[in-house]
Amino acid sequence: MVRTWDSLEAFDGHVGDGGMVEPVDAMPDAYRQEVFRFIELHANSELMGGLTERDWIIKAPGLRRKQAVLAKTQDEIGHAHLLYMVAADLGVKTRAEMLEDLFAGRTRFHNVFHYAAVTWADQVAIAYLVDAAALISQQAIFKVCSYGPYKRVLRRIVAEEGFHMRHGEEMLLTFAEGTALQRAMFQDALGRWWGPAVQLFGPDSAPDDPLLRWRIKSERNEVLRDRFVQKYVPLLRSYGFEVPDPDLRYDEEAGRWVMGPIDWAPLRATFKNLGPDSARRLATAGGSWQATRWVREALERPDAGRAA
Amino acid sequence: VTAVVALAEAVRTAVAAVPDPEYPGVGIGELGMVEAVDADDDGRVEVVLVPTFLGCPALDLIRADVAAAARTVTGVRTVEVHWDKGAAWAPVRITPRGRRLLAEDLAVAVPTPSGAVRCPVCAAEGVEVVSEFGPSLCRRVARCPACRNPVEVVRG
Repeated sequence: MVRTWDSLEAFDGHVGDGGMVEPVDAMPDAYRQEVFRFIELHANSELMGGLTERDWIIKAPGLRRKQAVLAKTQDEIGHAHLLYMVAADLGVKTRAEMLEDLFAGRTRFHNVFHYAAVTWADQVAIAYLVDAAALISQQAIFKVCSYGPYKRVLRRIVAEEGFHMRHGEEMLLTFAEGTALQRAMFQDALGRWWGPAVQLFGPDSAPDDPLLRWRIKSERNEVLRDRFVQKYVPLLRSYGFEVPDPDLRYDEEAGRWVMGPIDWAPLRATFKNLGPDSARRLATAGGSWQATRWVREALERPDAGRAA
Repeated sequence: VTAVVALAEAVRTAVAAVPDPEYPGVGIGELGMVEAVDADDDGRVEVVLVPTFLGCPALDLIRADVAAAARTVTGVRTVEVHWDKGAAWAPVRITPRGRRLLAEDLAVAVPTPSGAVRCPVCAAEGVEVVSEFGPSLCRRVARCPACRNPVEVVRG
């Protein structure tokens, strides 16, 4: 049952009234491209995030933490797998093309995966703050998302990220209630990760953002960013950590936290894969892709091993 | 004796409603994970749970949530929660309501005892398994050729 729309206006009306779009529908090409680009970026980010997480399986302190990092790696790679399926089905690029573009630096992945995680405390900051920032974005998309398959995959991603959050909180408590050295380690890591976490939401949304018009996103970047700040500034302070923003202040009248100006140059650098750790990460991931080429080729030719 | 039975029953109800950490809205009772609940005259309660698979990373978390839920029941003084790691869990332990919630809310399919799988999105048959594992070790990744959704299937 293919649904078609006579005009872009008719399609806008359908989406504007809360209508869903499914893969079998004859969606306008502009929507297809926009939703594809968005999901490709998300898939790339899950993949690069999972590979980052993987680096810490062997270094995580203790069996319980290792198990948690293992499970998180499995989750992120699995999310990438599902998202690449949704993206590939849109018919814009194949999965292999998306991966080739990613590793060649022609497409993007989220800014937070362009930085090095120096110590275990960085991993905790990522699990506590960066995952929280991602979850706030994803929850907002999930709530209204017009593209059916993406919404369904997001539903499970949000559920699983919620589970990661609980691990993150538990790990943060270990540092917060730990020795002076542990507290200093986390404070140090916070200095490296607060900025990237805040920038993850992106600069303020354009007034005519097509992602908002077509309900691929539900809320403006600045609204989501503020939600993160209002929640995590008081939490970090309650644990006795200092939020690394010298201009951060509490507006008594409005009853809310006001951040200092954000320098967007580091974010823009990551868009061009010029972040501090971008080159190494792309080289590692791209190297694995090349090294496993023979496996993919063998799988595509199941009769190749048969005797002639 | 009846007071003890009533206490065990009240604890079972509370424990069964504890949501699975990866399936919000689906209680562990719906997933068939609550094996036994015992109580005695002194308010000592023992809960035995069955893991859906041994390597599940959520076991500690579920145990803590179950203990907390049991403690909220009036008359409970102490709680012990055990995982019965010798028991074999299987998808048939998931209740009909659990199956419906997993399908409708999370696009996760549960195979029937004969192994048949219906697409949790469009109910079509012929879902194609794409990979043996996905985000979780307890689910396969599949694709429905009819509605073209990627879906996940609970592993037996």
